[in-house]
Amino acid sequence: MQVNQVHYSTPQFSVLSQDEREMIFKGALEVMERVGGKFYNEEAIELFKNSDALVTDDNLVKIPASMTIRALNDSPNKITLVSRDGERNLHLGRNEVYFGTGSDCPFIYCRETGERRRYTRNDVYDAARVVDSLSNVDFFMSHGLASDVPHDETYDRHQYFSMVKGTKKPLVITAVDKEGLKDIYEMQLLISGSESNFRLNPNFAVYIEPSSPLAHSNECLEKLLFCAEKSIPSIYTPCPSAGATAPASLAGMLVQTLAESLQGMVLAHLKKPGMPFIMGGVVTIMDMKTSNYCYGAPEMSLSSAALTDVSKYLDLPMFSTAGCTDARVVDEQAALEAQISIETAFLSGASLVHDVGYLDSGLNGSLEMLVLCDEIIGMVKHLGKGITVDENHLAADLIDEVGPGGNFLTTSHTRQHYKNEFYFPKLLDRHNIEAWTAQGKNTILDYVNKNLDHILDNYEPEPLPADVEKGMKEIIKRADAKAEEAKVKTKAKA
Amino acid sequence: MILKKLSQAMIEGEVEMGKELAQQGIEEGLSPQELLDDGVLAGMEVVGDRFKNYEMYIPEVLNSASVMHEVMNIIKPALVSSEGDFKMKGTVVLGTVEGDLHDIGKNLVGLMLEGAGFKVVDIGIDQPAKSFVDAVEKEKPEVLGMSALLTTTAPKITEVIESLKEANLRDSVKTMAGGAVIDQAFCDENGVDAYGSSATAAMEITQKFVEEVKNNAS
Repeated sequence: MQVNQVHYSTPQFSVLSQDEREMIFKGALEVMERVGGKFYNEEAIELFKNSDALVTDDNLVKIPASMTIRALNDSPNKITLVSRDGERNLHLGRNEVYFGTGSDCPFIYCRETGERRRYTRNDVYDAARVVDSLSNVDFFMSHGLASDVPHDETYDRHQYFSMVKGTKKPLVITAVDKEGLKDIYEMQLLISGSESNFRLNPNFAVYIEPSSPLAHSNECLEKLLFCAEKSIPSIYTPCPSAGATAPASLAGMLVQTLAESLQGMVLAHLKKPGMPFIMGGVVTIMDMKTSNYCYGAPEMSLSSAALTDVSKYLDLPMFSTAGCTDARVVDEQAALEAQISIETAFLSGASLVHDVGYLDSGLNGSLEMLVLCDEIIGMVKHLGKGITVDENHLAADLIDEVGPGGNFLTTSHTRQHYKNEFYFPKLLDRHNIEAWTAQGKNTILDYVNKNLDHILDNYEPEPLPADVEKGMKEIIKRADAKAEEAKVKTKAKA
Repeated sequence: MILKKLSQAMIEGEVEMGKELAQQGIEEGLSPQELLDDGVLAGMEVVGDRFKNYEMYIPEVLNSASVMHEVMNIIKPALVSSEGDFKMKGTVVLGTVEGDLHDIGKNLVGLMLEGAGFKVVDIGIDQPAKSFVDAVEKEKPEVLGMSALLTTTAPKITEVIESLKEANLRDSVKTMAGGAVIDQAFCDENGVDAYGSSATAAMEITQKFVEEVKNNAS
């Protein structure tokens, strides 16, 4: 019998040492004390004025380290997101990785004509169905921005409706403003039943994005404060571009990003200590040849993994980014960029990894890319299963039994293990060249399209209960009527 | 009913159930050929179809083949009291050519062919041309299969073909070859009747050749 054995089993990956993580964190605390951040919201300013923070007349707030550390101590390191029917599927915390789409892409390629066009509610519904059917995608953001709506100010209610109708998987939602978020929350409560049940079993988290460097808009703060009030899981995720809205040095970008995210956390905890907070940051570079905000850059994957290291040091759930590309169509560039980011984000151990399926630097929510990434995620998750090392798996007895020159194909050990130890691809072609030729020389994109056609033609998500659907439609109608009224009033004034 | 259950046991790879059912069938007076054709081989045909449609994978297919083997051991003695020998679908001699120890592909072909109801005589690895000739003379197979993995051993396949000609046996048997370095062009250039690109392909070729031989005879 052996003693003092250490088993890793899974791959080991990190970018930063403990000391380096602490240096990033201390750097952020320093920025929060010395530079501060701009908060363009009255309630936020009031809350800070009644705290230990320093508030100046121009909305600048400097937060002492003591407040940040207190808020960190109050932050839960476990947040659970449930499916539409209450299954507790996503346990956010260190090294529990879940993949999902991004949100609000304006464009999609029409599958019939190939033309680029605006996203519709039905496209969002289709994206939701695709995600619902894919086994390796764990949560859903809208992917596209529903543009075929009566009023731009109320698109978020329509979009949420298409999302929750198309998939039972946990959601990450966006909202136009506090009013939009309130309506969506009200719609969600038709499913959850009560606020207290939603607190225990939240079906969605809210995506909120401050403006780098170090500025927090009124819309984003009122959403964050509403989330805090109701204990809705909140993702507070800046989107800096190194060299433009953050330092070009990646460590400097991380310091600033963390400061921005933690500024939000401190405010949210002033409103409601212990509210469920998820830190984040789409940390990437500006391409200095084209000014492109890069979704496929290795710097993005490297910085995201480093920020995830810091999140683990702080024991906060982390919102990260992968499966996206700067390629304008689903091509070889798209596949290789997605592969690098998915593998890196997975190994880093981030909690929610979003933007899977983004094309065109976040402008195009592609369904084809989503199906392709599902396979990449499957392969990468298989890496994460690691290698079981024990007596049965070491298989000395079996090797002895088969002996030199024998074969393992017919042993029960093979039948017992291969389905778990091996990955079974959905889209990858492993036929020899004769069979591949006979089947029509399919490339991976042929399989992607066949697979996607099959899903779109056949997949029926479980419908919402009729009374829930009716109730949701009434809330949407109410919001649209209000927007119409406001429009008429504005016209009358003019 | 027994025959249906027996074929189900083949499909599910249930060895004990298969053996029991075969025994029961014999006791209830079913003929060995009936048990073979409508029980064992009927089940194995389903296995083959499922394999082609990716509904079953190689280890399960081979497990069904090994169940078949066990069941055959029960059915065979019953023959002594009946017509004499089984009517198997046909006979195939398999071997890996001289200098080559790589035989997993050849073994897979053998297991698949057995599963499909053929009698397989496997002469093993590193076999000189003479062994192939001897085996063809003795077993009188419809099909001879040769395997080679290396570019250095592939020419040995040509030697086997030449030796068969010298022994006046070339026309008595259809030949097929397979292995990583073999392709259709190699087979065309070296007088091999067919190229087996995979175990499934080898099985289809064998079925086709055996069918041809039968048609020519009748």
